[in-house]
Amino acid sequence: MAYDDYLDGEKVIITAALTGGVHGKEANPNLPETPEEIGKAAAACEEAGAAVVHLHARRDSGERSFDRDRFQAITEAVRSRTNLVVQHSTGGTGATLEARRQSLRTDPPPEMASLDMGPLNRYRHLTSENTRGMVDSLYDEMADRGIKPELEVFNDGHLNEVRGLLDRRDLADPVYATLIFGGGTTSPPSPRNLLNATENLPEGALFNTLGFGRHQLPLTTMGILLGGHVRVGLEDNVYYGPNELAESNAQLVARTAGLAETLGREPAAPDEAREILGL
Amino acid sequence: MPDVCPYLEYRQLGDETQSGDATDSRPRAYCNAAEEFVQAMRADVCNDRYGLDHEADCEIFREAAGPPEGVEGEGAGGD
Repeated sequence: MAYDDYLDGEKVIITAALTGGVHGKEANPNLPETPEEIGKAAAACEEAGAAVVHLHARRDSGERSFDRDRFQAITEAVRSRTNLVVQHSTGGTGATLEARRQSLRTDPPPEMASLDMGPLNRYRHLTSENTRGMVDSLYDEMADRGIKPELEVFNDGHLNEVRGLLDRRDLADPVYATLIFGGGTTSPPSPRNLLNATENLPEGALFNTLGFGRHQLPLTTMGILLGGHVRVGLEDNVYYGPNELAESNAQLVARTAGLAETLGREPAAPDEAREILGL
Repeated sequence: MPDVCPYLEYRQLGDETQSGDATDSRPRAYCNAAEEFVQAMRADVCNDRYGLDHEADCEIFREAAGPPEGVEGEGAGGD
């Protein structure tokens, strides 16, 4: 993907990351946590222009859940209301590999699932390990269940890991990688670093742009200009503007859809996204 | 040693949510050391889930609890 794809007006896939696993209503009371809330938020995001929904599960208290049945309840809440491509998270800082597998075991399985390409640090002593063995193990279960991986690239070193995975496994085309920018062990957020990352992708790979916090708006806009796809939502950014909490996930999706249209790329509908992603 | 962080309690978040969902009123993790509600991921440390340990893994607990007995500070007593 490149600037030519922008010039050609290729449709842009907007992924809505509704909930995440890091923060909750203590950060923004409008962040959905229960299956009912997540289902309603997903429907509003589809209406606003999203094609893919990225899902995490929570307990009733808002704390993280890796329970298969909880993912089942959430995916049913979303599927009953929308035609969105369902993408489950397999991330889980500090959680066991067995816990992280559970989101792949819903019936039906998600069409896509995230696959972290390597380690990242959080807080004082937490690491999402993502060893190559864990990555391969999660990938193999996805392959067995017909789930397309969304390769999460938290920094440039993870682009090397993408190439390593392609050497070890036979991924179906098109490879789909999310380029992530923020603090800590993610790539430093800057236009130049996004540009460099896109140029280091494997031949033929599609990319998705994810910027944390205040970097969500500028970097996703740049991702649209570079012919890529974008992810927005309260998982990555709880603000709409400086010191202004977002009202909803749909508010962030609507802004991105409007920007894409203004820049000459229509948001892809869910079935169009399925075609682009080879689902 | 307690099973969970001694600074952890569960409180009502408040009534500022817009969803109106009944679970908004469920108690949520609150850190009495930081005097604020706890992020979802940090709550796993508070509750010592997945092999995490609040004493070792939580910087807020460590700061509030002070250095272990006999230790004057990190890096003290070098060789």
